Amino acid sequence: MNAIASMSRPEICNTIRYTFPVRLGALILSGLLAVPGALAAEPAANPDACCPAIDAAAFTKNSLYQADATFTDDTGRAVKLGELRGRPVVLAMFFASCGYACPLIVSDMQTIREKLPAEIRERAAFVLVSFDVARDTPAALATYRAQRSLDGQWVLLHGADDSVRELAALLGVKYKQETDGAFSHSNLITILNPQGEITHQRTGLKGGLDEAAAALAAAACAN
Amino acid sequence: MKAASLRRLGILTLGLSAGMGLGGAEIQNPKPKTGNPGSPSVVLAQEGMIAIPAGVYVPLQRTTKEAAQVAVASFLLDEHPVTNAEFLAFVTVQPKWRRSQVSGLFADSSYLENWAGDLEPGPSAPPGAPVVRVSWFAARAYARWAGKRLPTTAEWELAAAAGYARPDGRNDAELKRDLYAWLARPVPAVQAEAAAARPDFHGVRGLHGLVWEWVDDFNTAMVTGESRGDSGLERDLFCGAGSVGAKDPGDYAAFMRTALRSSLKANNTTSALGFRCAQDAPHP
Repeated sequence: MNAIASMSRPEICNTIRYTFPVRLGALILSGLLAVPGALAAEPAANPDACCPAIDAAAFTKNSLYQADATFTDDTGRAVKLGELRGRPVVLAMFFASCGYACPLIVSDMQTIREKLPAEIRERAAFVLVSFDVARDTPAALATYRAQRSLDGQWVLLHGADDSVRELAALLGVKYKQETDGAFSHSNLITILNPQGEITHQRTGLKGGLDEAAAALAAAACAN
Repeated sequence: MKAASLRRLGILTLGLSAGMGLGGAEIQNPKPKTGNPGSPSVVLAQEGMIAIPAGVYVPLQRTTKEAAQVAVASFLLDEHPVTNAEFLAFVTVQPKWRRSQVSGLFADSSYLENWAGDLEPGPSAPPGAPVVRVSWFAARAYARWAGKRLPTTAEWELAAAAGYARPDGRNDAELKRDLYAWLARPVPAVQAEAAAARPDFHGVRGLHGLVWEWVDDFNTAMVTGESRGDSGLERDLFCGAGSVGAKDPGDYAAFMRTALRSSLKANNTTSALGFRCAQDAPHP
């Protein structure tokens, strides 16, 4: 599967059709249901605009983007997850001071990114949402971005406790703060298709990165 | 005892109207409501809510890094679980939570299955019975609509630790008998009246013996099931998890609640799972 990084998009999509025929059926269906306007990637939206108007009614039935939670990115801009519509997304929950699993999760997301064909890699968004509503302020997330050398494709989000818990529930992530301030949490990397539907989840800390990259490529190909 | 109760109540007594139930006199159909005669619970401005004094929650199971005791601030809790009539008022004004319109992401296919129609609870869901077959998302949306929130696990368990006659129900034989009798009974096709459940020491009804109830942080429970599951892959599923011994292996019902919470997904609905709302206690 590492080879997909060097393929052209038609080759990738053919490979994926061949490899994942069952999943593809569902993706084609969701592709048919998709709103035509949703196909265009819009990563270049004005970064200073607060919460561009999003037509929630246009989200598909299983789209996470129906959730109305609002987050704040590391520049202090208010963000709704629905703004990611149109892009394939790799999403994980984490906390910046985590010394064990979170650095591995971020590294694994970077590995998934490297495994993607260039065309899909450029369109994808890599999203980290923090459990640590008290300490992972936008400023702290900006520091984390600098420390980890995360470029503009990475979206680092802070949210109110309510929003974070709702997103965790949607993803099936369980978490709890310990007395030392650290969090116990599920280790999950979620792949969202351009409609914001979960198409794949990688659980645990070992393996599964080829599958995650393939799922992301498949999700992107569905459009 | 009375003085101690009053001291313990602290700020909550500020919300008292005159002639409240602290003197031990029986008050019939009080309005606003009181707790039991002699109960430390006090009358509150919030109709149908009861003050739960601050206390300590001892988690049933915890990891080595978790606190053995969790301090819980005083808070307000609904006297009884949310009823079908109350939930009907909610879905009437918020169509997206009606059975036919709710997203599968937020409620599974058996959401409000026992209702006769979108806006018609019908004979299987009497107006005064607790609403069941509601998801965590729906319960939360209701609470937000009502200007309230769901209780946390610590709050719910603190309130539920009360006995019928004492603040600490651990040795309340009557309560235990009723609780285990309920656990042994099959889920009834039609739930009983929420307001008819026997009140506990604080005046709260139906925490035990009516329906299971959602808590806001249900998705903190990380019990993976059997101990063999805590090796290999399972250990990697959670960062820093791995439960150690339970504080009270005899508290069978608490095990069941923990197991239920850890097995639920937020869009699940079941025939015996409802909810009630909480609020922060008003501060002067």
